Amino acid sequence: MTVANEQLLILAGLLFAIGAAGFFVRRNLIVVLMSIELILNAANLTFIAGSRMHSTAAAPNLDGPVFAVFVILVAAVEAAVGLALVIALYRRKQSVSLDSLTSLGD
Amino acid sequence: MIHPANLEALTSTDLRGTAPMICVTAGIVLALLAEIAPALRPARGLAFVGSLLAAIAFELRLVADPAGEVFHGAFAASSRSATWGVLFCCAALIAWTYGRRYYKEEAGHVAEHDLLMLCSTLGMMLMAGSRDLITFFVGLELLSVPLYSLAAFRRVRATSVEAGLRYFVLGAFAAGLFLYGSALVYAATGTVSLAGLHDASLGSPLALVGAALIAASLFFKVSVFPFHFWVPDVYQGSPTPVTTFMATGTKAAGFAFLLEVAFVMPPSSAGLIAAIAVVTMALGNLGALVQSDLKRLFAYSAVAHAGTLLLVVAASLAGDPRAAGPVDAALYYMAAYVFTAGGAFGLVALLEADGERFTKLESLRGLGRRRPGISAALSLFMLSLGGFPATGGFLGKYFVFSSTLRADLVWASVIGVLLSVVALGYYLRVILTLWMLPEPEGERAPEVRRLSATLVTGVCAAMVLWLGLFPGWFLERFLN
Repeated sequence: MTVANEQLLILAGLLFAIGAAGFFVRRNLIVVLMSIELILNAANLTFIAGSRMHSTAAAPNLDGPVFAVFVILVAAVEAAVGLALVIALYRRKQSVSLDSLTSLGD
Repeated sequence: MIHPANLEALTSTDLRGTAPMICVTAGIVLALLAEIAPALRPARGLAFVGSLLAAIAFELRLVADPAGEVFHGAFAASSRSATWGVLFCCAALIAWTYGRRYYKEEAGHVAEHDLLMLCSTLGMMLMAGSRDLITFFVGLELLSVPLYSLAAFRRVRATSVEAGLRYFVLGAFAAGLFLYGSALVYAATGTVSLAGLHDASLGSPLALVGAALIAASLFFKVSVFPFHFWVPDVYQGSPTPVTTFMATGTKAAGFAFLLEVAFVMPPSSAGLIAAIAVVTMALGNLGALVQSDLKRLFAYSAVAHAGTLLLVVAASLAGDPRAAGPVDAALYYMAAYVFTAGGAFGLVALLEADGERFTKLESLRGLGRRRPGISAALSLFMLSLGGFPATGGFLGKYFVFSSTLRADLVWASVIGVLLSVVALGYYLRVILTLWMLPEPEGERAPEVRRLSATLVTGVCAAMVLWLGLFPGWFLERFLN
């Protein structure tokens, strides 16, 4: 059984929607970070599906998989910096909620 | 397309085209090595300034004699991208010089600050010259991730940590939008190189949604409506030298690439982009009118300037008859802006480091009598930001609005000019506070004179006047 490219694109679209919804709805910073990871993985899946759609046996289109490798790398970097910032916030405020970001304003 | 058969050895053109970035990378390595022994620490500043000056020298050579596409078309060292590169290096040098002795509690790890700033500059250079979405994405993250940490650099202060987190959460989301957008465009066309996208038809719904997502993520980076709301908070909370760098360098890098990929948006969207630009200018200028915090005031003004520059993107979409016109206008505008905003934010950093009670607008009262030199420079920068004749800011605005007019977006230019007049209101308020209002009671901060800061203020002021009075120099040298 093979998976159709359209199915892959739809799955990626759903992942993106879940990630975007989580980003806007949830207040816990850790969950927000997880939602962003979902969006990145939606992009990865789309890259792989795109590569399959545009490849032939003679001429593989490798742009998508190469892009996906860079995305995986950068996702790790972002997670590291993001978690460090969340820890810094926790030390100041004893909270990891977006609602505790209150010290800026006029 | 990436194919194993295409990968051959490095050529000398590759090296010539990326020489400025190699210089900055060498600076990063040297600055890192300078931390291994206390005796070597003073060499860090030398590595920072030296590598950026060397990069500027190589960029100037590339302006005169561009290397063209290098690394199999992943990066282009055109005279345009080299001009952007010069601006990024200048922005980093300005921010760094004003940031010296700014950090008191964090003095122990200022080395990290300098390293991160160099990494971010490298990312900007990579962005401006990228010819495919992969290179651009790597550049974007190399720019952004160090800036998240820099914004939160004063981690003992809640404001700084908060600025870093806000910037990070929104920046990471914008990166996600960019990636999903590029993935959709790739799924529709099968290519990620700008040249390939140029030739491909981008009419399918998949590609249109992708292009919209890419545009949205870039709008976030350059702080344009409806993605501008983070700017005042992040600019206010970040350490001021970092704000200086963000306001000048990041915006320039965002626009450099936005102008390169503007073609992925359909020409019919020019009117929409112009409307977004006008709304951004209105929000920035009207928001700035009611601010009492100096950094927030400058942040709203930065949003307004991003709106003005977005008019250039609209003009290039609507098809300015002189093809290079909009990009040249953007380059001139940004060149003036780097020195003007760099000087303005930098002087705020300088005053803060001297222990002035900041950063309320109130605290500028009586400064004109106390420190006339700094006040005169700050007034000049305000006039240039407001677009006063004889300053670089005026000519930048003139070029932008005339390229918008040539593209038949008359209504947008008219509203833009009117909003620039509104903007004079708050810029003049700063000047008024500096010179006219009496000094409040209370003890004064000790005045510290610093040669490097005086020098860079002088250079910024000179460049603002030079760009305003002798535009031919820049136009001939950089824009032919």
